[in-house]
Amino acid sequence: MDAGGTTRGESRGVAGMLRFLGLVMLGGVIGGLAAGLAAGFVSLVLWLNDVLLISARGRMMFANAEILALATLLVPALGGLVVGQLHRAIREQRPHGPADAIAAVQTRRGRLPFRAGALSALSGLVSLGCGASVGQYGPLVHIGATVGSLGARLLRLGRSDDNVTIACGVAAVIATAFHAPLAGIVFAHEVVLRHYALRAFAPVAAAAIVGHVISTNVLSWGALFHVAETALPRPWEFGIFVIIGALGALVAGGYMHAILAVGRCSARLSLRPSLRPAVAGLGLGLVALWVPDILGMGRETLRFATISGAFGGIELAVVMLLKIAATALCLGMGFGGGVFSPALLIGTLFGALCGTLAGNLGFAEDTFIFYAVCGMVAVTAPVIGAPLSTLLIIFELTGSYVLTTAALASVTLASPIAAQLFGRSLFDIQLASRGLDLSAGRNLAVMKSARLKSLLSQDCATLSPSLSVGAAVEELGGSGHAEAHLVDAQQRYRGTVTLAQLETMRRKGQSGSSLKDCPRIPRPVLCPDTSVWTAMQHMQEVSGEALAVVDDKGTDTFLGVVHETSIARAFLNYSEELRQEEHGVG
Amino acid sequence: MVLAEHGQSAPRRHRWWLVSISTQWALLLALALSATLFAAPVLAEGEQRRELVVLSWGGAYERAQQRALFEPFTEATGIAVRVEEYDGGIEELREAVTQGNAPWDLLDMTRSSARAACAEGLLEPLSTSILSPAPDGTSVGRDFLEGSLGRCWFTHSIFATVVAYRRDAFPGRRPTRIADLFDQQRFPGPRALQRTPAANMEWALLSYGVPRQELYRLLSTRRGLALALARIDDIDPLHWWVEGEEPVSMLAANQVVMASGYNGRFFTAMVEQNLPIEILWDGQIQEHEVWAIPRHAEGAEVARQFIGFATTTDRQTALANLIPYGPSRHSAILQVSTHPDHGVDMRLHIPTHPLNAERAVRLDDDWYASTYRRVGDYFRAALLEKEGSSVPPQRGGE
Repeated sequence: MDAGGTTRGESRGVAGMLRFLGLVMLGGVIGGLAAGLAAGFVSLVLWLNDVLLISARGRMMFANAEILALATLLVPALGGLVVGQLHRAIREQRPHGPADAIAAVQTRRGRLPFRAGALSALSGLVSLGCGASVGQYGPLVHIGATVGSLGARLLRLGRSDDNVTIACGVAAVIATAFHAPLAGIVFAHEVVLRHYALRAFAPVAAAAIVGHVISTNVLSWGALFHVAETALPRPWEFGIFVIIGALGALVAGGYMHAILAVGRCSARLSLRPSLRPAVAGLGLGLVALWVPDILGMGRETLRFATISGAFGGIELAVVMLLKIAATALCLGMGFGGGVFSPALLIGTLFGALCGTLAGNLGFAEDTFIFYAVCGMVAVTAPVIGAPLSTLLIIFELTGSYVLTTAALASVTLASPIAAQLFGRSLFDIQLASRGLDLSAGRNLAVMKSARLKSLLSQDCATLSPSLSVGAAVEELGGSGHAEAHLVDAQQRYRGTVTLAQLETMRRKGQSGSSLKDCPRIPRPVLCPDTSVWTAMQHMQEVSGEALAVVDDKGTDTFLGVVHETSIARAFLNYSEELRQEEHGVG
Repeated sequence: MVLAEHGQSAPRRHRWWLVSISTQWALLLALALSATLFAAPVLAEGEQRRELVVLSWGGAYERAQQRALFEPFTEATGIAVRVEEYDGGIEELREAVTQGNAPWDLLDMTRSSARAACAEGLLEPLSTSILSPAPDGTSVGRDFLEGSLGRCWFTHSIFATVVAYRRDAFPGRRPTRIADLFDQQRFPGPRALQRTPAANMEWALLSYGVPRQELYRLLSTRRGLALALARIDDIDPLHWWVEGEEPVSMLAANQVVMASGYNGRFFTAMVEQNLPIEILWDGQIQEHEVWAIPRHAEGAEVARQFIGFATTTDRQTALANLIPYGPSRHSAILQVSTHPDHGVDMRLHIPTHPLNAERAVRLDDDWYASTYRRVGDYFRAALLEKEGSSVPPQRGGE
């Protein structure tokens, strides 16, 4: 980002209108591309699952039990091997995901790298195809975001437009994969953009509509989650749904922390990072011999969890815990993939468990599915930090208003409790651990991620420490600056003196003493990589015209200064850009 | 021109993920063009043949085919049609084709048999160019139901396995959902089901509220099989039938109040024998009946000509007006009207009419082809040989 650079005046009138319409059209085009890729991705995963004997149907249609057991063991392990090699080609040695898209948008730092995006998509494809216990929506969201960012880059658009096109890609894949255009739009705003500017809404909506049209007309795979019409819950059951929400938040927290904990442990393993996914795959396959429900996305298990009596109570708890463990193992050890689909399944199993308990107590006879769906949203919404999107997904998937209101009851407590205890979402927790804290809002995140480098200026007075006070006053007086930075022959920074201070010394008759002996007020020094936010903090403690910048290699080499006015201007510019992106109308 | 089509699509194949759809269309178009170009001279040769030998199912079905298809074909072309009867299966066909002399030119078979025969290379490949578009110009691809156009077979009708019930059995209410088959509290009385897993397993799982799109995925798991079998096992008393006529006679004798069976048989019982029964269309299991040509059949070209003739919207409608089998084209489904003899509204009786097909299940013959034996074993172990535990599936699918 260029110095919080010049602010473009808000374009109004016909030209602005045309430009805005162009952005909407671009949104539609990106939506089409992203939806096509998403559809291809999902179809490929399903095909791989059938061919590699991961899907229930593929396994059933394959008669040989020994080869089936062997495939259960080897397919995830070999998949892990491939995934590990893929990740070696990515700079960060890990697959990119929604968190990276969120970071790029929230900090306005910029473009999503295409190469890493493509490799991450491939890694997600292999992981999912080989039955790793990971979700498909994470890779899909990142594919959409990468396509959007690529579009903006090819057209050389500014950062605000880049952010909008990223959101377009995300909305389109959600609209395609879930058959849920409204959820796609809200997800892009709620999770990625985190604002609801009218300027972003229209392109995002265009993308979601194109995605929806493609998913319903061109492709003909069924919706994810049909629900036959159901009985109405009794009024007091809504109370239970709220409690399920509260407990679901704890399950969500456990799930998120299990993933993070395995990640930390695996980092301490003496195993090469590229081999870790293979080990995880082998472990997964071993357990899957016994409980095949944990393999892959578990679409069949998800359905059974909504059927009263399909599982026993203890069985539900066991499968839920194993699914949490399997997902934590796969993601923590480095498989590529998302957290959403496993969260759906874990939540549904949890809800089914609550429903079974309630059934044993004499409630929940014909309303079992409500319990399952409440559990589903209670776990899912906190994990992705998107209560509204999750609700809309339920609404658009089931088409049932009653189910959606029950889910609303559940999410009411789930999201805030989880946010209080654990953080806004798993993505935010991951970003915080990488040093990007979004909890205090976007403004802060932008200031914290903007670097001083671009504000660096050479417009300052430097003096040699060996100079005498008298000579220094002369020289400084002629330079037009009120303060000087002492830089020795090795270009090292030796402190800052002010003209007033030197003048006082001269009056006291100390003209002959050397500058290096005069008292200096301790001043903070900055590095080129110091954030604008930190500089702002220091500015509050110092009154002066500029802060010295030294290189951060510990040699104290003087690089120049950052004027306090330019820090203030940068702050105002960033604020203005955010304001324009979030509140501009077009 | 055909070559040009191929030439354009070939170099782009390295980007198949972008162009695969258009390439497919180009290939289809090229195939269609080549077929129309070469069809004319071959037809001229075929004119020397004055007889078409068809293998079909006999009975009332064959009589309807005579009236709606064979006689009009002879009238239009002067080619006589001779019909031989069989009762399904592809053993005879396999034998005949391996010996190199199939005695028939055209086969009327179920889609699952045709799929198996096609995979074994026993059938001639077919091109959709022999089919004609709908009267309103709708293309063949859009007018035929999904899954009707195979590599070597084309669906002509769709029949269904359904549940029928005695109208007088449940005073004041009538079953509306397939789940009612298993609900002996609201709909008391004995049931009769076919002694095979097909249809029964699907219905049992549907009764749990499972969407029909997910049936075969769920039946691929131990849990799904166990749930389905448990549901069937709960029915008491339950009679098993084997021959297609048995459920009709059990219902007629009031031996059972609900029974599964073929929709054509129930139709005859209702309309011609005036039995007080009604079909429950919810959850009907649809199967395809297809035309196919044996490999190296002498009259292959005449047979192609006949397939084109018999699958026109007009002929499909005429057939469906005589027997309650659903046409395989949207345009024909909408034109079905009354039986020419007794004036019964046939729309109410064909499986594919929108009113009846709302929650129809399409039999996944692909799935059954590779699982039939195992699913049959579970089925027998759980329901028919009641010794020991009723939880059947060993480690099989899942």
